[in-house]
Amino acid sequence: MRWIAPRLLSRWALWMSLLVLLVCMVGTLVWLAGRYEVSQVENRMAEDASDAVSDIRNGLTRNVQSLQALQFAGQASAPWEQEAASLLREHREWLRLEWRDVQLQLKSEVDTPFRGPVFGHMGTMFQMPEVVQACSVAQRQSGPGYSASTYVPQANGQGLEVMNLCLPVLNNGELVGFTVATYALNEILINFLNAQLLRSQEVSFTEADGTRLAMHGAAQRGARVFTAKQLLTLPGNTMVLRLDSWRAAPDVFPNVLTALVTMMAIALTSVMGLLARDMRRRQRVESDLADALAFRKAMEDSLVTGLRARDSQGRITYINPAFCEMVGFTAKELLGHGIPAPYWPPEMVDEYGKRQALRLAGNAPPREGVESVFMRKNGERFTVLIFEAPLINANGQQTGWMSAVLDVSEQRRVEELSRASQERLQATARLATVGEMASLLSHELNQPLAAIASYATGSMNLLHEAALTDPQLASSLNDAMQRIGQQAERAGKVIKSVHDFVRRRDQSRVDVAPRTLLDNVMPLVALQARKLGVRVELRCANDLPHVLCDRTMVEQVLLNLSRNGMQAMQDDTPYKTLTLLVRTVPPTPGQQWMEFVVADQGHGIADDVTEKLFTPFFTTKEEGMGLGLSLCRTVVEQHGGVLQHGPNPPRGTVFSFTLPQA
Amino acid sequence: MQPTQDALVFIVDDDAGVREALAWLLRSRRLPSESFTSADAFAAFLNARPETDWRPPQPGCLLLDVRMPGMSGLALFEQLIARGLLESLPVIFLTGHADVPTAVDAVKRGAFDFCEKPFSDNALVDRVEQALQRSASTLESFKAKQSRQHNLAELTERESDVMRLVVEGLPNKLIADQLDISVRTVEVHRARVFDKMAVKSAVELANLLRN
Repeated sequence: MRWIAPRLLSRWALWMSLLVLLVCMVGTLVWLAGRYEVSQVENRMAEDASDAVSDIRNGLTRNVQSLQALQFAGQASAPWEQEAASLLREHREWLRLEWRDVQLQLKSEVDTPFRGPVFGHMGTMFQMPEVVQACSVAQRQSGPGYSASTYVPQANGQGLEVMNLCLPVLNNGELVGFTVATYALNEILINFLNAQLLRSQEVSFTEADGTRLAMHGAAQRGARVFTAKQLLTLPGNTMVLRLDSWRAAPDVFPNVLTALVTMMAIALTSVMGLLARDMRRRQRVESDLADALAFRKAMEDSLVTGLRARDSQGRITYINPAFCEMVGFTAKELLGHGIPAPYWPPEMVDEYGKRQALRLAGNAPPREGVESVFMRKNGERFTVLIFEAPLINANGQQTGWMSAVLDVSEQRRVEELSRASQERLQATARLATVGEMASLLSHELNQPLAAIASYATGSMNLLHEAALTDPQLASSLNDAMQRIGQQAERAGKVIKSVHDFVRRRDQSRVDVAPRTLLDNVMPLVALQARKLGVRVELRCANDLPHVLCDRTMVEQVLLNLSRNGMQAMQDDTPYKTLTLLVRTVPPTPGQQWMEFVVADQGHGIADDVTEKLFTPFFTTKEEGMGLGLSLCRTVVEQHGGVLQHGPNPPRGTVFSFTLPQA
Repeated sequence: MQPTQDALVFIVDDDAGVREALAWLLRSRRLPSESFTSADAFAAFLNARPETDWRPPQPGCLLLDVRMPGMSGLALFEQLIARGLLESLPVIFLTGHADVPTAVDAVKRGAFDFCEKPFSDNALVDRVEQALQRSASTLESFKAKQSRQHNLAELTERESDVMRLVVEGLPNKLIADQLDISVRTVEVHRARVFDKMAVKSAVELANLLRN
């Protein structure tokens, strides 16, 4: 758990930073789009402003031409006032037309029919300075001249900004007077400008310092305002035309949509790239995984150890081929199988069920494994050794148990066999010992019995001659002697019958390879050799001629001689090597022989021991009975062979015996 | 049983009791004996007489125990075989039950007999006497052969020629012709051959030589 947290955290941080970046990008995009839109609007307004200025200029120029026409009309025909009045009806921007002479004295005047007289209550003198200014400009330039604008208060409390146009009237190149037209500034805006332009924005004239002179259009304060300014330069007057658009702020939503779509396109592309990279990585990982899986599978298949996994309900979730082979069931039959497993012998189900319950309760099995009996599909029972370990998943939770199952039945069988062979040899050894004792006893008792019988017979022989002198006495003594002899003979027969009983198996001669004899005793010899630290060297070709012998007895002889040899090396022998050798020896007439040699490198045999070596019940060992070598000699001689011994220079003793070839 | 009067029985056994009892038994049948405590001792006795054609001076036999410390009875038996003494010194093995197969084997190889201990009645002594008789007859023929060879060695070259022709059955006349000598001379030689070979007739001489 603890080691997973940092990874999760860093992953979340990554995602968060990605999101923040995205939002920033969207914001920037929207802002840039807004900026663009604003600049678009501003450009359009600047165009509108310049269009408006040009419209106004055109209008003013056309008006100048109309006034020139009026001048000519005035000179030609008397009713100037009529003409002017009709002009005023056509041009609502004019408030009034005046005809003045060269001294600027008013000769004639007409007011616009659309208003009350603008200057009514103040008189025309009110605006004389502007007229003078405009006319001086006009005179200087010999063309139209304009005055600065003037505020004219009105009767209703409000006022008008007005501007005068002065046009010199020439007659044959000679100045004869001036025509003065008074413009209302806001009427200029209304009449000269495109209605479309006025609909969505406010148009106004301002002075250079920003003072508003006249305005037209709807003012929507508070909304976002865009402003464009354009200079209107007239002879004698300069004003600024100002456009205020209250157009709403550019819409965020479409911008956001565009931004989002763009973003998504970018994101999609990058995700595609990432996906492709991820795919490649995934493919690589998958191929690695496949390799690892194949490796693991090969490993599992090559195992001779059976593997079995069970979930927490005891169902089998995995088994390897070795396990299937062991129990004889196929993987399909076993996978998913719960309790009791099909390889449990029916008589053990209860016990195994209890053990399983213990295990599922979380009790760990012993490290050295549990010995169990399993059943093959064919019903055969076999012993297995099971090692179990908890199965932990990636989250650290135990999901079941993994078991390694070893088939130890073969091992058990070998152990059984080895024990049986050891027991057989030991039994033979005991029997042989008893036999040897019987043999020795019979020999030892036969000697005195032989003496007794001899004396009895001799006495009878003597009595036979003495019978001539005292037949009576001789006869009774003869009877007694006869009985003595008979009893001695009887004793001999008893001994013989005991001996025969023990030696019943003497005649079992079989044809056997020397190698087999050695192989049979090797396990026991090796056992003691390990204990005493002796190296055993076997020199026996496999193709040697067979011998004819009582197998178990000869094995006993080999074992006895080997043990003696190893015990002789027990103490301070530098190189403890026991050599067992079999070879052919020169034949005697009518018989071929094999020789078995047992050579040690021990302390050798002392002279005083040599004399008594084969004496029954003589031994140099504390626990010995003193029958071993005696028995060996008996066995060998029963086979017609000879048991010999001698020194093994530089150190040790060689015992050798011969057996007839088959 | 008279021929065994001057016989000598050798006893080889490691057990003093058995040796003495056997000697006593044999003496009860008037058979002298000589005891040896081991096969080695008897082998030493034989080795003191290394001549290859040595024979016991009187009829004898050997009572030999099979199992003894040191040299075994069988090993001693092998030596006797090697020296060709089996006929003049027959061997009777004394065995325990365990050694019976060995003893049977030994009999097959020329031993006179074997006797299982303990011995019953006079069977052993009877066999000993039979062995002594065989020894005696063997020695007698050996001695006859020896004296015959001795006598033949005494003959001169001419006497041997005459003897050969006499044995072939030729009359004196033909012998004289063949040897290119006179009949008289042949008769002298013939008488001397008969005298030296201790025979009385040509037939007796032929029989002697045929043996």
